[in-house]
Amino acid sequence: MKIVLANISKRFGSRLLFENINIELHSGQCLAITGDNGTGKSTLLKIISGLTRPATGSIAIHYNNLSNINNRPKFGLVSPDMAMYKALTAIENITFWSKLLGLSITESQAKELCGTVGLAGSEYKQLSTYSTGMFQRLKLATIMAVNPLVWLLDEPSSNLDESGKQIVKDVINRAVNSNSAVFLATNEAKEAEYANFKIKL
Amino acid sequence: MQTLKSNFSTSIWAIFRKDLLCEFRSSYSIATLIMFALTALSSVSMTNPGVALSPDFAASLLWVVLFFCAMAGLSRVFVNEQESGTLIGLRMYASGQAVFIGKFLFNLLLLLFLSCFVIPLFVLFFNIDINDWLAFIKILILGCTGIAAVSTLMAAIVIYTHGKQAIFTVITFPILLPQFLCAVNSTVKVFSGLAPEGLLFMFGYNLAVLAAGLLLFDYIWHD
Repeated sequence: MKIVLANISKRFGSRLLFENINIELHSGQCLAITGDNGTGKSTLLKIISGLTRPATGSIAIHYNNLSNINNRPKFGLVSPDMAMYKALTAIENITFWSKLLGLSITESQAKELCGTVGLAGSEYKQLSTYSTGMFQRLKLATIMAVNPLVWLLDEPSSNLDESGKQIVKDVINRAVNSNSAVFLATNEAKEAEYANFKIKL
Repeated sequence: MQTLKSNFSTSIWAIFRKDLLCEFRSSYSIATLIMFALTALSSVSMTNPGVALSPDFAASLLWVVLFFCAMAGLSRVFVNEQESGTLIGLRMYASGQAVFIGKFLFNLLLLLFLSCFVIPLFVLFFNIDINDWLAFIKILILGCTGIAAVSTLMAAIVIYTHGKQAIFTVITFPILLPQFLCAVNSTVKVFSGLAPEGLLFMFGYNLAVLAAGLLLFDYIWHD
């Protein structure tokens, strides 16, 4: 599988955010998108996910073998703009987002994912009791449950401590090993090192 | 670890169940609806003690209470998602149609639950004599379905506007007016001991709104 971005540009009113972005990313690869604040890293991820329309350009996914993608959704997003349901527990959140896509995630699988991101012991607590770092870990667990073909990670280490940052590295490795394409928008030079390629906006 | 099932009905059920669970734990919308209904009914009852309401006035009062309860609470299904930041996830992972149907079913359940609370109080406060309960329940279900369908559609339209609540009420009322008037007229008939009229129109109106919602919701949802 490969995802191809051709001549993508975006403007807000008269302000041109970026133009002529051309990217070809294959499954099993990770691309780091770096740049100063306000250069459009998050917007580019939202354009790839279909949440925002580009001013020009197109995005296409080309499949080598359709049998490999039948049980996987196209896109998954971890973003500071995307929240979880505070009235629900971590397990209920993971199963809810998975069920929206028609995925059957069992409670024990959701519990195991919570353990993977360091939320063991808090998986049955409502999110109203969570810290911002715990929220971020839950977002990582959710995208692992969804296991999309294209992972869109927007500042995945934000609000995380050192152990959390190690989890982000593991999550990216897991995505790459499961033949996904990973777009990683980050300001952290160390995090960008996890990627195979880099572009600066 | 996972299998991708045909996800339309699964998504609808997941959204409906999630809204129900969140409402059960926060009681925000139902508390708003019940408090509004209780205040409206008790204030009319206390300002007109012992006065027997005419069928026309009683039917109008009932539907005005249900309508304004809906205006007070039903827009929350989308406003809450937008204010809490969960809307982006729903837009990312769910189809517009599944969200529309899931939210509509939740709003309908809220309104029917509210009706179960309002009707006994209404009968008690105003000594309303209803001979044909079956016809009355049919009118209630059809009327609530129309209110829930239009409210869900309009609530999605106003989520990115300033002054959401005012705009929601202003744009919902004219669209709901034919259904509202028909519900009032049918209820007047039932309260007068006559056979209700207009049930077929109400049914057709509901079908038309739901069909329009299913066809148009993607444009509202993704643009």
